[in-house]
Amino acid sequence: MAKKNIISKLFASGPLFLLYYLSISEVDTNLEKLIEVFSLNLQIIIIYFWIIKRPSLMGTGHIFFAGLINDVVMGFPLGISSLSYLLICFVGNYVRNKSVNTTIASDWFTFFIALLFANLLFFSLLNNFSEVAISYTKIGYNTFFTLFLFPVFWLLFNLYQKSFIGSQDA
Amino acid sequence: MSVSRDDFSIAFRSALLQRGGAQKFSVLSLIFLALIIFFLDVYGFTLVKTARSFLNDVVYRVTYLASAPTRLLPDVNKGIASHFNLKKENEELRKVIERYKSLDLNLEYISNENKNLKKVLDAEDVQSVSNIVLAKVLVDRNSPFLKSIIINKGSREGIIKGMPVTQNKYLVGRIVETNYLSSRVLLINDLNSRIPVTFDEKSTQAILTGGGTREPTLSYLPEDYQFVEDLTVFASGKDGIFTAGTPIGKTKESGEVKLFVDPNQLSFVTVNLIKPSKEVF
Repeated sequence: MAKKNIISKLFASGPLFLLYYLSISEVDTNLEKLIEVFSLNLQIIIIYFWIIKRPSLMGTGHIFFAGLINDVVMGFPLGISSLSYLLICFVGNYVRNKSVNTTIASDWFTFFIALLFANLLFFSLLNNFSEVAISYTKIGYNTFFTLFLFPVFWLLFNLYQKSFIGSQDA
Repeated sequence: MSVSRDDFSIAFRSALLQRGGAQKFSVLSLIFLALIIFFLDVYGFTLVKTARSFLNDVVYRVTYLASAPTRLLPDVNKGIASHFNLKKENEELRKVIERYKSLDLNLEYISNENKNLKKVLDAEDVQSVSNIVLAKVLVDRNSPFLKSIIINKGSREGIIKGMPVTQNKYLVGRIVETNYLSSRVLLINDLNSRIPVTFDEKSTQAILTGGGTREPTLSYLPEDYQFVEDLTVFASGKDGIFTAGTPIGKTKESGEVKLFVDPNQLSFVTVNLIKPSKEVF
């Protein structure tokens, strides 16, 4: 029984582990070597999905900390990724409070709003308060691919949730 | 109507202030904290700079360790072959060290000769360029926005901001951030990179502009300049940062420059301990 409990806890901490791992490791979801324009912000998808589906698995403190780590590794001003992630978290919380049952289509639409707010905040802060210049084309591609691939990851995470964590929604 | 507004405000407030379960902190308090950290970092307070430098060193080491499985995974398939790869890498590194040693001696000789010639010309004394530091690439995260790498040498080895970074004498980038044990190198294909360069028989001057793509482009060229393929592009040294004559790449007809060193394939680089004559960043 205790062993089963540990295993279920391990599976439950999978999304958080993935979030931390993507923030701290060299692993990136940026396939520039294959397709020059392809880049994806998987962290945002992870946060949004799990905040909507199982907020108990994605603590806000962890999200904040993962953002700080991401800033250090990427070389951005400290706190900027945290802000962007927390904004995603806020929209996710709001959508969860307002909706009784969510579908892939409704999640996709609300994710678009969350992504728009988060990227707007991220790049306007970077543009106005930092010396780091960023290509708007790259931002566009990144936003597009993140939005475009959201349903794919939604299905994958949903499958993971149903198989290993349990289908109980928040 | 008022009920709907109430609903909105309740959901809004709840999304910002709700706590409980894994949510130990409210989103609002963390947003404020992140904003404070952001502005402290952006406006460069000494305490934050020191803390960030320490944090960078720790996180870069952890990143290096955390990335180990992804580095090792391809080798697992090769099995025993990896052992021979290590041996081969060791031999290659020895050769590199030998080459740098000879280069060091050669540089000292050229530098002395240059100094003597400058004396003859009654010119100012020049800085010694005989100091180079061999560094290993710790983190090479392929960000879509920033093209940079982290190396395992920092201010302890005398590295300061602005120092040029090369591989096999070819220009790779420059130092933009130093910590005690690590540094960040801005690669020449990054959007923030601008390098004064010279090329062709007429010593045409231009600026090599990174665009975040694989190949940077030449800009600020003379009017009606026609690009010729296969010309070697060198740093002109006019910015007081890069050593004049450092090769960078070959020109293409499109105005782009094919770099001699692939920025995505760096494992060892050298930092030239030349104090930039200009304040960088």
